[in-house]
Amino acid sequence: MKQYVTLTIDGAQVRAAKGASVLDAAIEYGICIPHLCHVPNLSDIGACRLCIVEQVSNGRAKVTTSCTLNVQEGMVILSNSEKIKKLRRNIAELLVAQAPNSKAVQDVAVRCGVKDVRYPFRHSDCVLCGRCVRVCTEMWGARALGFVGRGKDRHVDFPLGKREDFCKHCGSCIMLCPMTITPCKGPMKTGEEYLCGKCEAQLMITANRPDSCVWCELGKGFQCARYSQ
Amino acid sequence: MTKLNTTNDLEALRKQITAQRKNIRTTLTLCGGTGCQASQCRDVIDAVKGALGKHGLEKSVQVRISGCHGFCEQGPLMVIEPGNIFYCHIKPEDAQDIVSKTVMSGAVIERLLYVDPVSNKTIQTEADIPFYQAQDRQLLSQNRLVDPCSIEDYIAVGGYSALVKTLFQMTSGQVIDEIKTSGLRGRGGGGFPTGRKWADCQEAPGDEKYVICNADEGDPGAYMDRSVLEGNPHLVLEGMMIGAFAIGAAQGYIYVRKEYPLAVEHAKIAVQQARECGLLGENILGSRFSFDVEIARGGGAFVCGESTALMASLEGKVGEPRSKDVHTVEEGLWHKPTTLNNVETWANVPLIIKNGAARFAAKGTNNSKGTKILALTGRVKNTGLVEVAMGTPLRTVVYDIGGGAANGKAIKAVQTGGPSGGCLPVSKFDLPVDFDALYDAGSMVGSGGMVVMDESTCMVDVAKFFLQFLQDESCGKCVPCRLGVDRMLEIITTITEGQGKPEHISLLQELAETVQETSLCGLGKTAPNPVLSTLRYFPEEYAAHINHKRCPAGVCKPLITYAIDADNCKGCGLCLSACPLGAISGEKKQAHVIDQQRCNKCGICADECKSQAVTVN
Repeated sequence: MKQYVTLTIDGAQVRAAKGASVLDAAIEYGICIPHLCHVPNLSDIGACRLCIVEQVSNGRAKVTTSCTLNVQEGMVILSNSEKIKKLRRNIAELLVAQAPNSKAVQDVAVRCGVKDVRYPFRHSDCVLCGRCVRVCTEMWGARALGFVGRGKDRHVDFPLGKREDFCKHCGSCIMLCPMTITPCKGPMKTGEEYLCGKCEAQLMITANRPDSCVWCELGKGFQCARYSQ
Repeated sequence: MTKLNTTNDLEALRKQITAQRKNIRTTLTLCGGTGCQASQCRDVIDAVKGALGKHGLEKSVQVRISGCHGFCEQGPLMVIEPGNIFYCHIKPEDAQDIVSKTVMSGAVIERLLYVDPVSNKTIQTEADIPFYQAQDRQLLSQNRLVDPCSIEDYIAVGGYSALVKTLFQMTSGQVIDEIKTSGLRGRGGGGFPTGRKWADCQEAPGDEKYVICNADEGDPGAYMDRSVLEGNPHLVLEGMMIGAFAIGAAQGYIYVRKEYPLAVEHAKIAVQQARECGLLGENILGSRFSFDVEIARGGGAFVCGESTALMASLEGKVGEPRSKDVHTVEEGLWHKPTTLNNVETWANVPLIIKNGAARFAAKGTNNSKGTKILALTGRVKNTGLVEVAMGTPLRTVVYDIGGGAANGKAIKAVQTGGPSGGCLPVSKFDLPVDFDALYDAGSMVGSGGMVVMDESTCMVDVAKFFLQFLQDESCGKCVPCRLGVDRMLEIITTITEGQGKPEHISLLQELAETVQETSLCGLGKTAPNPVLSTLRYFPEEYAAHINHKRCPAGVCKPLITYAIDADNCKGCGLCLSACPLGAISGEKKQAHVIDQQRCNKCGICADECKSQAVTVN
């Protein structure tokens, strides 16, 4: 029989299955913690750090990613405190400055409250969220894609740089990639990048308006469909 | 090597070795550590052995090739017992003199003695050297007593008696209590209480548990783990055995970086010898405790010093850290409870068990006990490995042990804790070497790196150097560390190039806090420390770069100009002939001038000038 625990997220009592992550528990209750690298049914690696929350215990708050944090009985989570909002905004700013040509990244940046970008824009076509690598490895067991290199040189590539037969051209990687949907006006010209994020991404970046939406405070910060109605 | 089946066998072997060595009249201890090997100590060793052979002294004189003594800049080193005579900077051609004069007739060779750079006095014995005198060498002093490739040496000095005590007189709970009482904290950087870690691991459910020795030391300029592991591998092994007994592990790993070939070799030999003696394997010394150790070589990634990345690397995966929401003491290597400690931590364990926790805890401060090895480098007179009791003020380390500034310039700061640590100004030199005190001051003890900087060091440039290092060594998995450190470096580079804006300071501050709070692993969480500590203690240097477009230390090239002071220039022409770009012109005995268009600010003219006429602005 499934076991359940009760925890508090932003003051709301939430019931979640034992072993679930805090992020999944939150999304189920319509608390749309922004996230990028998390994909349902794939493992969580905590790479994008957008889903950070504060875990409060014994009067001390610890910042951690909600996707890698498992629910526990009596846990107290703050997903939208001032501190978290500021940190999340800074991370989103780093992401959008890196890849302004992704509608998904643009949208998530605006959702996280980025108002202007203080770094020079770059034209990266990958934010290394690892969705493609994980779907290929975990869902299909194909391992046709992987991370290569370290630090600044880290990139996604085929084994030894060559597309092998075990890639079946299934397209899952492209489907999950947050970079494949470009802004409506097309790729931005170098030197003319700007913060857009006017429309909600058509990706599984956040579960948009689930049936159980609790009108969380988080939505006020961005154009959550509920609030804009 | 005979197999030791009981403790009596071990004691018998110890007596036998001591008896065999009774006839040895003189012991020449030559340092064979990596530092001295770089100064050609291998040739010296061969020459000394050859000279002894010539005089037929091989039997009565023991030549011990020991591990690192710590005073690497004086290498190759030799200590002659009896007499405690200390020779330094030995060359192969000195071997003949050493044997014929010192060994055979007891005469001291003046030219090989150490001259103290502070008092300019010649010092004859090792015990009188101020560099050693101001230290408290609990671990490092052992290096000199043993040949790292000889288990007999280690047994002769009382080795493995702590293991015997653990196996036959203590329960695992008592061992953990002893470590807890001693107050030992992790020496690798985090400073986590070792006893608590062991207790958590022991209580974690599971039959299969592991112990790991982290020898993936990678901080620039730090090499204490290398010296301990290559100088006294059996001490580390014994520590691991005690730890394994306490938590209930049957398998251990030593993860050592491949850039430490001597440490890898010595650790391998030690494990092999221990296996042959039956000190590793099934039912050690007739007890019910079985344990074995494997050596794993790291692939050269700095991030693999992080516990979860190290375990991933050990499992054969890419060395990337994972989120530590579940601790490694519960779910570590192969998802089994794992205790990972640093080399120095493991090396302290046998001493605590043997001498009692009280003796260990007698040294140090309230929350930091025992001694810590530091790698003292930079602009001080004496550099090398330094071991001091916790709580020793930084001032003592820099001025008493280090001997103060090397080239007459005033000391400005000390960088502690490697790339993850921070820079502390002279006004903070009364701070003790203590985990909490240094952390509160915005730095950390870390693994023990200590780089001393003087006026000619630009603090913005220092921050840039460490950011470059961390940007190269970040695994790139999480956004704050990969992009955040990259952007911090971008901003700092802009500042050092004279393009900085006042708002850059607040942006750096905000970005640094974000990286610190949100990064995945310890590397990212501590990566902004060099920036934050220099911003905190040296804001005027940042202001000078940004507001006045000048670098006070004369380091950042786009912000400085070289000029020749006409009053001081004697027209000797040294700078003119040295300049690689031909940017200097002038007649003989007339003041020279630098053509700023051609000058690339290499600084060779300033180094060449004998009359200090070349100025930097």
